[in-house]
Amino acid sequence: MFDAFIQGLFVVLQWHTFVFMLVGIFLGFWVGLLPGLGGSTTLALMLPFIYRMTPVEAFAFLLGMHAVVSTTGDITSVLFGVPGEGTTAATILDGHAMAKRGEAGRALGAALMSSLVGALVGAFGLALAVPVVRPLVLTFGAPELFMLAVVGIAFISSLSGGGGRSLLRGFLAGLLGLLFALVGQDPQAGVQRFTFGQLYLWGGLDLVPVLVGLFAVPEIVDLAMRGSSIAGELPQGNLGRGAWEGVKDTFRHFGLTIRCSLVGTFIGIMPGLGGGVAQWIAYGHSVQSARTPAEREGFGKGDVRGVLGPGAANNSKEGGALIPTVAFGVPGSSSMAILLGAFFLQGITPGPDMLDKYLTLTFSMVWTIAIANIVTVAVSLFVLNQLAKLTLVRGSILIPFILFLAFIGSYTSNNHLGDLVVFLLFGALGYLMIRCGWPRAPLVLGFVLGRIAENNFYISMTRYGNAWLFRPVVLILMVLTVVVILYPFLQLRKRIPVEESV
Amino acid sequence: MKNVVNLRVAIALGTAALAAYALVASLDWPFRTALFPRVLGVPLLLLAILELILSLMSVDTGRAGHAVDFAMTEGLDPEVARNRTVAIFLWILGFFILILVFGFTLAVPLFVFLYMKFAGDEGWALSLILTAVAWLTMEGLFNRLLHIPFADGWIFSLWR
Repeated sequence: MFDAFIQGLFVVLQWHTFVFMLVGIFLGFWVGLLPGLGGSTTLALMLPFIYRMTPVEAFAFLLGMHAVVSTTGDITSVLFGVPGEGTTAATILDGHAMAKRGEAGRALGAALMSSLVGALVGAFGLALAVPVVRPLVLTFGAPELFMLAVVGIAFISSLSGGGGRSLLRGFLAGLLGLLFALVGQDPQAGVQRFTFGQLYLWGGLDLVPVLVGLFAVPEIVDLAMRGSSIAGELPQGNLGRGAWEGVKDTFRHFGLTIRCSLVGTFIGIMPGLGGGVAQWIAYGHSVQSARTPAEREGFGKGDVRGVLGPGAANNSKEGGALIPTVAFGVPGSSSMAILLGAFFLQGITPGPDMLDKYLTLTFSMVWTIAIANIVTVAVSLFVLNQLAKLTLVRGSILIPFILFLAFIGSYTSNNHLGDLVVFLLFGALGYLMIRCGWPRAPLVLGFVLGRIAENNFYISMTRYGNAWLFRPVVLILMVLTVVVILYPFLQLRKRIPVEESV
Repeated sequence: MKNVVNLRVAIALGTAALAAYALVASLDWPFRTALFPRVLGVPLLLLAILELILSLMSVDTGRAGHAVDFAMTEGLDPEVARNRTVAIFLWILGFFILILVFGFTLAVPLFVFLYMKFAGDEGWALSLILTAVAWLTMEGLFNRLLHIPFADGWIFSLWR
């Protein structure tokens, strides 16, 4: 196996494979920067180009492109407050807040380095897990996936902030998100729910216009209201030399980065959860890492840990998502489903052969994810400080271009004008929530988990009746849910006596 | 401050109305279809009413806590902030109307030019250069390279 591992590296480093990977990285770099133009769309667009390639070249090209999309998506999120990808929205909360404080370089450095660490952990996870993943994936049926969604929803308590009123608003936002997830055809009986007779709504609300509206519009309004650049009139001392500081932040909080990477890898392995979930759970965990209420209040205002957690998780999940795709031919996300198509185009059937006949190819994928991210981060670090200077450009120049990207990004999710209406409505809602002190993160968490929870709940009931409640992993996840809900309260109670004694 | 309180009342009222609508709509659905909307709708309605009462009583400042989210910039003249907020929302709505009327390909450069010239008060040269950049991005990247099927503007359907 070790021989195949090393051979995997050598085949990726062959010049023609390496060139294909570089082309993929170049494409992925720009796709990540452009809001809404998702990695899965680009994967689908690039499939016809792999016919003439060998399998190693084809996967170096496709994975090279796909592996860096989340990495560069963070750049748009940090600089403009518009999610470059659906999977990089959580980075906005603290990353863009840092950019507004004149620390764009540091936020970008942290986002990129944590992305690299996450990608390496995910790739390492893929390499290690391939031979042993079967029992793990088979342990997780619909009941366990439902409970995982419940654990995710429980993170609302961490994302709501301190204070009873904040918690109330956090739960309101979370419930609203869960309700929005129910729009569309009911998965059980095919009954239309909240569709108002609109065909567009039959498939439910798309994540991209919802996220772009919720996050971009309030930032654009704030920028217009201030009438200055993103970094405002603040002293710009940190702007030009902050990237290295961000890199060092990753290693200052290395434990958190690794934990969030593992969260991302684990969620990636689970079919149907995906990066939209991973980033928010990682963000929730980052908030939990605050040791005092005062530290906790820094989240959302520009705490670098709020950048590191989601940055690591949304990259590590790629390696994780490849595990069930490669080992069983079970794609965990739409991107992986398209990648599965690439396997068939190359005449390869995923499954046991990938661990035997095509083991070198499997390991070449691990190396591609790792090398693509190393190349991207290395190149980006050279230009980061220049990119950070975009935050000094006048708002009157930036606003029309940010709006252009936001509208295009929303539209390209379904190529339907309805996406623009959803973008505008959620933009107005996002602005209202910010003005009224309602946190947006719980709403997004509820929205991404709502349908997963409902689908798996009904499959569990149909398949197991009430017996699913007593499955061992379900019971463990129930305990974990209680711990996640109570953790912020326990933390608060533990701190108060300490602070009083001080 | 009064405006913010009014907004808080409005958002709580809107949420309560949405929850009530979800519950009423679910009455016509089969049990399985209605289960999740009801399970979510009841606590949403109750919590929204609680938030509404607290907002009406202005029970806020001391125990408000802190939302894990950014806050709008403070310290600006309220009149200026309000005018700029209304203006940017009108520009966003205007961009949407331009897209509906002219389609993306024309609306994007038109909006970039109009915004820079009239809202941003930028010079002619910079406005025209960046308008050209916007048009090139739109035409070159999204139309020619990615072949994104943009909807035609309403104005062009008049000629068909």
